[in-house]
Amino acid sequence: MDASTAVRVLVIVALLAFALLALPILLSDYWIVVLTEAAIFALVALGLNLLVGRVGLVSLGQIGLLVVGSWVAARFFFLTGLPFPIVLLISGVITGVIGTLLGLPALRLSGLHLALITLMFAGLVSIVIPTVNFPNGGGGVLGHTESSFGNPAVRRPSIAQSDPAYYRYTVIVIAVMFLLALIHISSKAGRAWAAIRQSEAAAIAAGVNITFYKLWAFALASFLTGVAGGLLAGDEGKLYSIQFRTIDSITLLAVVMMGGIYSLWGAWIAGLLQQLVPALLNDWFGFFERNPDFVLVLFGVGILQVLVTAPEGLVNQVPKDLRNLGRLLARLAGKATGRSRPAT
Amino acid sequence: MTVRRIVLALVLAIAVLATAAVAMATRGSATSTSSPAAVGTGTASKAKSVCGLGNGKKATGTPIKIGAIATKQPGTDFTDIPNMANAYFQCVNANGGIYGHPIKYYIETEQTDPGQVASLVRKLVQTDHVVGMVGNTSIIECAINHKYYETHGIYMIGSGIAPECYSTSHIAAVNMGPRYSSDGAVQYEIGAGVKKIVFDQSNVPGTGYIYAGPQAVAKAAKVPIVGFTDNVPIQDANSVAVKLVQAAGSNGGVVLNFTPDQALLILAAVQKLGLTTKVKAWSCSTPCNSDFVAQALGTAWDGIFGVNAELNLPSASGPDSTLYRQVIAKYKPPLAFGLGSFSQMGFVEARIAVSALLNMKAPYTLKRVNQAFAGVKNYHTDILCKPWYFGKIPLHIPNNTDRTVTPNHGKMVVKQGCFNISAADPGIAKARALEKRFKLNTGKPYPVK
Amino acid sequence: MFPGLADYKPFLITGLALGGVYALSGVGIVVLYRATGVLNLAFGAIGAMGALLSWTLINHTSSPHWLAYLVCVAFGALVTFAYGVIFGPPLARRDPLVKAMGTVGLALILLGIMSYLWPPKARTMFLPSTSWQYHIGFAGLDVNWTQIIGLLFGVLVTVGVAAFLRYTRLGTAMRALADDREITSTLGVPVRRVEAVAWLGSGVLAGFSGLLLSDLVGLDAVGLTFLVISALAAALIAQLRSLTVTLIAGIIVGLCTALLTPILLWPNATFSVSTYRYGAPFALAIIALLVMTRGRRVVSISRTDR
Repeated sequence: MDASTAVRVLVIVALLAFALLALPILLSDYWIVVLTEAAIFALVALGLNLLVGRVGLVSLGQIGLLVVGSWVAARFFFLTGLPFPIVLLISGVITGVIGTLLGLPALRLSGLHLALITLMFAGLVSIVIPTVNFPNGGGGVLGHTESSFGNPAVRRPSIAQSDPAYYRYTVIVIAVMFLLALIHISSKAGRAWAAIRQSEAAAIAAGVNITFYKLWAFALASFLTGVAGGLLAGDEGKLYSIQFRTIDSITLLAVVMMGGIYSLWGAWIAGLLQQLVPALLNDWFGFFERNPDFVLVLFGVGILQVLVTAPEGLVNQVPKDLRNLGRLLARLAGKATGRSRPAT
Repeated sequence: MTVRRIVLALVLAIAVLATAAVAMATRGSATSTSSPAAVGTGTASKAKSVCGLGNGKKATGTPIKIGAIATKQPGTDFTDIPNMANAYFQCVNANGGIYGHPIKYYIETEQTDPGQVASLVRKLVQTDHVVGMVGNTSIIECAINHKYYETHGIYMIGSGIAPECYSTSHIAAVNMGPRYSSDGAVQYEIGAGVKKIVFDQSNVPGTGYIYAGPQAVAKAAKVPIVGFTDNVPIQDANSVAVKLVQAAGSNGGVVLNFTPDQALLILAAVQKLGLTTKVKAWSCSTPCNSDFVAQALGTAWDGIFGVNAELNLPSASGPDSTLYRQVIAKYKPPLAFGLGSFSQMGFVEARIAVSALLNMKAPYTLKRVNQAFAGVKNYHTDILCKPWYFGKIPLHIPNNTDRTVTPNHGKMVVKQGCFNISAADPGIAKARALEKRFKLNTGKPYPVK
Repeated sequence: MFPGLADYKPFLITGLALGGVYALSGVGIVVLYRATGVLNLAFGAIGAMGALLSWTLINHTSSPHWLAYLVCVAFGALVTFAYGVIFGPPLARRDPLVKAMGTVGLALILLGIMSYLWPPKARTMFLPSTSWQYHIGFAGLDVNWTQIIGLLFGVLVTVGVAAFLRYTRLGTAMRALADDREITSTLGVPVRRVEAVAWLGSGVLAGFSGLLLSDLVGLDAVGLTFLVISALAAALIAQLRSLTVTLIAGIIVGLCTALLTPILLWPNATFSVSTYRYGAPFALAIIALLVMTRGRRVVSISRTDR
């Protein structure tokens, strides 16, 4: 392990320690819940980030898969007494299988057409889920009941019942998932994906089985989304069809692009943009609390701004901007002190 | 950026601003009449209601903090309720407050994300240190937060939508909610002599719970009933209209339970297709009760469209209704829907909370304030048909008697005066039994201050 | 279990009306895509805001109706044109998906503004053509001229734009531009000007469609904005290429959706086909696309080939 990798690992470990140990003490329950949701969405964003950034495939059906994942997880939570991590795995695997099926058209379509057909899947899910609803302790296949007297919430792991504890649990699970993604990228699959993204014809010529690796990408992205669905079910306790809209699949892609698709950190930025920024705006400016419609406007402006000025996403743009700012300040400082500096 | 691009950006901005100016100029404003100088001041009597103590003195002590959570997202906006409550609180603060303490109101909006809704109550209670929750109106909040209220001893006064707003121990609503309001609409149709009822509602969570009410009422009256759901937003209102008319038949009636804009899509389609007279009766649960629905419908529906109205007409003449209009005129709260049931609910909820606060003594801690809220019973107001109550009982449906209104030349007018929602609905039966047992709406009226 | 044949008859009419709606939106989207390579997902939102402006002018000022309608079309033209001229060139070399995401940004901005300025009250748009009604005996219901205009307008736009794109120089330039902007500009085509015309035309279409759709579907900002997603199904069946196929696909999708409405008891009352009928556009698009591309294997030569 060379020096730069070691430094990177240290930074990650430090950030993780800070997130797990310091934040729950420093922040109120409100912000802990906000960050838990941000983390879960970062995981969903990770799936799309991998698909778009590593393989060059676009799926606008990820929120549809999130619905499937949370549904499956909720059903298993109520139906069985299986431990929480096992249910997460089950929902991940089932979602992964469905996501692979969703990826089959990727063998025939590409670009916009692939994106749109996955959007059709998201649309289908959004039509079915209001009628089928989410499991909430009832019987039968669907496990949905509508008692007048309140329904039980999805259970949480016994070691993570409170909000701060569940937040820590979520962050750890998601860190493991990111590690899984990282392993994939540095393995044969990652190299195959990079070849596919660069030029499929060249990849075939080099002997890469593009069918297998394309489907594997979908499988992995969907597995991650399924696990996120399970975490979401435990986090929110009660799930509603109205909280998942077809448009969310589209805004997810926008946020992932804004975060940056060529680095896994972009997924974290995407999650924070999606969940933390609106909460911060509401908190700092009463205006946004009273008029949440303007958060939508700001979001739209943000999308346009990032697409036009920061093609590689904020993950690269912000450091670049900070570096430029640093250079500008250095130049001004040089001018002020009368020293001449070499042009950078 | 080239000059041309800048110019075009400016043009776009100007277009948007001009749009805004046009729309702002015509946005639903409260009233344009001049407001009386001293609103809510004076002595309360049978003919006059005042804000709180009514002494015209500005309250300057340590504030009493109250919180509210309301849904606000494209297509759904319940903020009129807390905004009106806020206006009443301002009036109270200008009239002595709570024995010198002003009320500080924290309104949080949510966008139907369960995690967000759960986190907001924690923010209000743990960070903002509110001592009471008044004015909550949300599609899912009661379901998400009722356990939190139960473990923290908070008795929430709000406007209910989800089943848990009516079936849990720590929440009491001033309205009836979709299920019991639909019961009332069904009762109106049975009274109109229909031989079959078609019940259609928006396909949002809770359809089974809501339909169970009309089912029970229709069954008790021996009228066959069939229930449909439709995804919202409705894209094909024409097909929905035909479906309903076909299912009801010429002797049947159609009952709708949708938000007003979606109900209007169906009704407009019915009218355009020429199907208005093809069924015996049309009715809608309380969301349709507003003058802008009456205006949008046009006169073709006058008198033949029955809307269940959980609250009295905004134009009613009682002392509370008069004060309600006065407070709007003076404090000009940002009401998206103007005078109507949303702002009325906010007004009533705020008034009840203030009454409870004035009937207790300091210190105004979370525990003591909520005990005061829970202790409200037999609260009289001309905005509701029967006295309101909270009480420490397992479920709360304090508003279970209401009216039917119908459009008439752009306004809603009363068609049926106060009538009881049928006890064939088991929830109503339970609520009435509790009322009787604990004498919650009879006897000495709650001292309204 | 299944409704009788007679029960389906009125749904043939409502299906054609819905088909007209999907066809109109679908054609509007494909037209711009054919001319600029941009999938305008803000099509519905632009039309909705124009319609809401018209509504405000009609109901809250004493403007004559024709002026209000003109404002709707002008607004559609202005916003689309401005967007196209400001954000078109910087995004021109990017992936079609990135260009589509840009329009998503625009849609969100408009949706936010609309929600702020027009609270979700109940509003109706009643175009003059709606008061001219015909009774259709066999279906037992009235049809109004707005529905007929909606359908005819879709046909007119399809035929007109298809002819324009094929037979005029400007149209050919637009098609070349959508195909490959770089090469087209090196051939001496005034790329920016051609694009501007395409955007302007598409904007007029969006404005006019917005007016019609606000009457046909309803004056509901959220509903009209998200109608594009269902209309995309028709566009997708045409593989974003043929306007005629988009039109026909839209009508068929609308008919299928409506004809599923009366199937209220199969397989059972709670989960009847009728409750899932809005999934018909999506299901049809998926099936059609998979069938049409069977046997095809995508192999791209280089990244720009996407």
